[in-house]
Amino acid sequence: MNKKVVAAAASLASIAVLAGCTTGTTDGQIEIDVDAAQGQNVTLWLMGGDTPDTLRDWLKTEYNKLTGGTLTIQEQGWGDATALLDSALPSESDTPDVTEIGNTWSSTYTTAGAFLDLSPYYEELGGSDLLQGFVDAGRVDGAEYALPYYFGSRYIFYRKDVWAAAGKTVPQTIEEFNSTVASLTTDTQSGFYLGGQDWRNGISWIFAYGGDLAVNEGGTWKGALSSDATQKGLKALQALYKNASHAPVNEFDSTPWVNINDNETTGAPDAATIIAPGWAHWSIGDLGEDGTTRTWNDDKFGVFPLPGVTANSVAPVFAGGSNIAVSKASKNKEGALVLMKLIFSADYQTMLAQNGLGPANLKYTDAMGDDQFASALIESAKGSKLTPAAPGWASIEAAKVLEEFFGKVNEGGDTAALAAEYDAKLNDLLNK
Amino acid sequence: MLGFKAKRAIFSMIAILVAAIWAFPVYWMINSSLLPNVKLESRIPTFWPDGGNLNNYQNVLQKGDFFQALGISAAVTLLAVAGCLIIAFMAALAISRFRFKGRTSFVLTVLIVQMLPAEGMFIAQSQMMSNLGLKNNILGLSLLYMAAVVPFTVWMLRGFVAGVPIELEEAAMVDGLSRAQAFFRITFPLLAPGLVASGVFAFLQCWNEFTVGLVMMTDNANHTLPLWLRAFVQSSATRAIDWGQVMAASTLVAIPVVIFFIIVQGRMTSGLVSGAVKG
Amino acid sequence: MTSLDARAGTVSPSNAPTKRRRKFSARTLLIPAIAILLFGLGYPVIWQFFISFQEWGRPQLFGQPAEWIWLDNYIKIVTDPTIWGIVVRSIVFCAVTSAITVGIGGLLALLMKAAGRTARFILQLSLLLAWAMPVVAAMTVWIWLFDRRSGVVNYLLVNMGFDQFYLFSWLESPTTFFGLAAVIVVWMSVPFVALAIYAGLTQVPDEVLEAAQIDGASGFKRTRYIIFPMIRPVLNIVILLQLIWNLRVFTQIKMLQDRGSGTSDYDLLGTFIYKTGVQSFGLTAALSIFVLGLTIVLTFFYVRSMLKDEAI
Repeated sequence: MNKKVVAAAASLASIAVLAGCTTGTTDGQIEIDVDAAQGQNVTLWLMGGDTPDTLRDWLKTEYNKLTGGTLTIQEQGWGDATALLDSALPSESDTPDVTEIGNTWSSTYTTAGAFLDLSPYYEELGGSDLLQGFVDAGRVDGAEYALPYYFGSRYIFYRKDVWAAAGKTVPQTIEEFNSTVASLTTDTQSGFYLGGQDWRNGISWIFAYGGDLAVNEGGTWKGALSSDATQKGLKALQALYKNASHAPVNEFDSTPWVNINDNETTGAPDAATIIAPGWAHWSIGDLGEDGTTRTWNDDKFGVFPLPGVTANSVAPVFAGGSNIAVSKASKNKEGALVLMKLIFSADYQTMLAQNGLGPANLKYTDAMGDDQFASALIESAKGSKLTPAAPGWASIEAAKVLEEFFGKVNEGGDTAALAAEYDAKLNDLLNK
Repeated sequence: MLGFKAKRAIFSMIAILVAAIWAFPVYWMINSSLLPNVKLESRIPTFWPDGGNLNNYQNVLQKGDFFQALGISAAVTLLAVAGCLIIAFMAALAISRFRFKGRTSFVLTVLIVQMLPAEGMFIAQSQMMSNLGLKNNILGLSLLYMAAVVPFTVWMLRGFVAGVPIELEEAAMVDGLSRAQAFFRITFPLLAPGLVASGVFAFLQCWNEFTVGLVMMTDNANHTLPLWLRAFVQSSATRAIDWGQVMAASTLVAIPVVIFFIIVQGRMTSGLVSGAVKG
Repeated sequence: MTSLDARAGTVSPSNAPTKRRRKFSARTLLIPAIAILLFGLGYPVIWQFFISFQEWGRPQLFGQPAEWIWLDNYIKIVTDPTIWGIVVRSIVFCAVTSAITVGIGGLLALLMKAAGRTARFILQLSLLLAWAMPVVAAMTVWIWLFDRRSGVVNYLLVNMGFDQFYLFSWLESPTTFFGLAAVIVVWMSVPFVALAIYAGLTQVPDEVLEAAQIDGASGFKRTRYIIFPMIRPVLNIVILLQLIWNLRVFTQIKMLQDRGSGTSDYDLLGTFIYKTGVQSFGLTAALSIFVLGLTIVLTFFYVRSMLKDEAI
């Protein structure tokens, strides 16, 4: 297979480059050589403004201390990332040396041969302590090309007051969750507000019942919507859409938190429960006197991770976050590796955690603190899952195949027939 | 029958009414830029920024390098527009005042270039500019912009040149002016509104262009205003989009265009034109 | 009409000088334009042409050799059942928005001519403000105005007693989705059309109009027989450009889709090309050339009659 050849060639090349000045260790592992990087100037692309300035400054200072070179950080937007990476990564003169990359489309670039094989340095950068779901997304034929950078996670926000008034408590299983939110639904209030095409949240139900979107069978990706477990999840989801949510069918991943705050016209919330990324808590709360700020109110609002099928388990939700990789076209690979070493150092991982970003190396999650948001995040992230690491995943997201599928499930279509139709569509796109 | 003045007054009132309708979204942008986000999410619209403040502007100006981006945008746009107007004017003159072999093919080529979807071209443009070392370069970007707006401008100006009766020039030549003199004294002033309209259009195209700029200016320090603005609209893993700031930043991006227009709009009225013809 | 035409002095090409020296200088005038077009678009266009016959995806971007598949990309496009629906939808959308835009734009241009100096300035400034508003801001504001929860439009409709608009989602059905898209596209395009036609109108020398007035031509006749022929070159171009642009309208549709309704039922050609682009650059190139061909076919007769009219 072409991809294998390219991958092998890439790893050979990188070993050859570094062989002269590195010390081999067991298991094909090579120690990153700081001396080889002396005087190299490197560029790091970060996506979006999630990495705080203090962390950026720390990287710049430390990189300069180690190599005497300069680290330049360019911030790029998530929405533009593919266009930017497509145009810059192949070019030796314009490529960033290290780049952050969305976790769900890591596979699209790793299989295309855009990144340097990091497997020789894998153990030094964290090895099995790294969040494995993300490592898998960046792995091709057993070699790691992209490693996790940070993670976020989604959990449930609920109205304590509404739930208490109906005599409901935090559910122990997903079945209990489903029936509770259905019972909280009235004509003017969704028990659980979930956009009709919001597949990123909806897939939690597929995952929870043991299903999957696609599976890898002997090197070929295949749609798995028709599998028994997936069908079970889809039926539960369809019932939930029907009995608990008033959200429009065309809505996806928007701003669900507006529905859980009291609405000004009625004084009651539009939804008793939502699922949202952790940072949504900054937008949830009581409106202050001045009418310009919201303050979280522990008496009215609460959070918990979505429970799994068995009691005291956590459902695998879709994991947000990103990976990080070294460009194969980089002329400063030694410097890039030193930067990777810094990013995966205990200091930097701790700082990520302190700033509310799930650290790639799970040894450092404690630094996130122990408030309810941090524990909900860590709990839900433990079981969290990613979309299939198939080469064509970016195409599937771009073509909105899943939005279409979930929308049709929401509208009450026959899940088995729909699954057969959309498995075929997935099969068409997954492997290219 | 209404008198001339009464008619004019009625038309003026209609014009102002239409102006109000057309500018409403602009008003809404400015209104929103003065409001905190909680108000923007509210179910009851806030029609007047009562109790609003300039916080969004303060935050936007603190956060981004607005003035740096303004400088880059101004340089790229002015270079592109000036070059484009000169190039397109020469071409428009050639195809509307002279007949020669190859004219029709040129006209058609320029038209077809307009029809090609731009979505698929950025990879090739990026490769090319990378090889020429013109990425992250003001001149490089303005050349690409020039290429993008020249076809349109040629066609517009061609229409305007064709609209000026050649008899006016010929009459002036009978009066003893040379062909060039006749052109610059008679035709050129009549073309002023067309040049301004085309120029304003080219200006806006370049000023608000985003995709090509994004791919060419990967360095944050070289960002143009639309790229600077774009940064405010990107959602991220740790925060929601701050729409109040987006509106404030948008307002800031639009202000230079309005200033530019007020400077040139005098040229668009017929006063100067008829003056030139009569004079 | 013929006599009026002559008086208005429409360009008659037979009057154009044809001496050899002039021919040479006329072609020289084209050199800069040709040079800049070759620079900016030459390589990309040739590149697109070649890869449209190849299986050209992301691996090729990183140096893997491409496989020649000749017409497979094109066959895939024309045999895809969704594309023809999108083609028809795009043509209808383009025709409707272009007609409305040119209609309103023309009326506003006449209005500017008829209104007083101050009112004209206010109208021009307002149009320019709308035109100058960054697309991101314009789309955000429009989407807000029609937001189902907190939109001004639903708020006003409900307060006027139309309760069915409580939480009414304008993006949920293709009809209201494209209706809203059309409103936005027209709002954004009218300023250019109105100001261009107005600029064309100011070229009509006052003497010509006065002469017509002395002859007793009424307002309508003046517009129809004197003004219209004189601004026809500009009008033709404005219409043609509207057709070309509206056929592959992209940003507005994309941003509406990002707020809900991203599926192929809500696609026009522009967004369809964009979505294909993520899958395969070769396919995108083929699709771009397909859209180019479609545009040429659709505008062929218009362009031909336009060129004949002006004897180009």
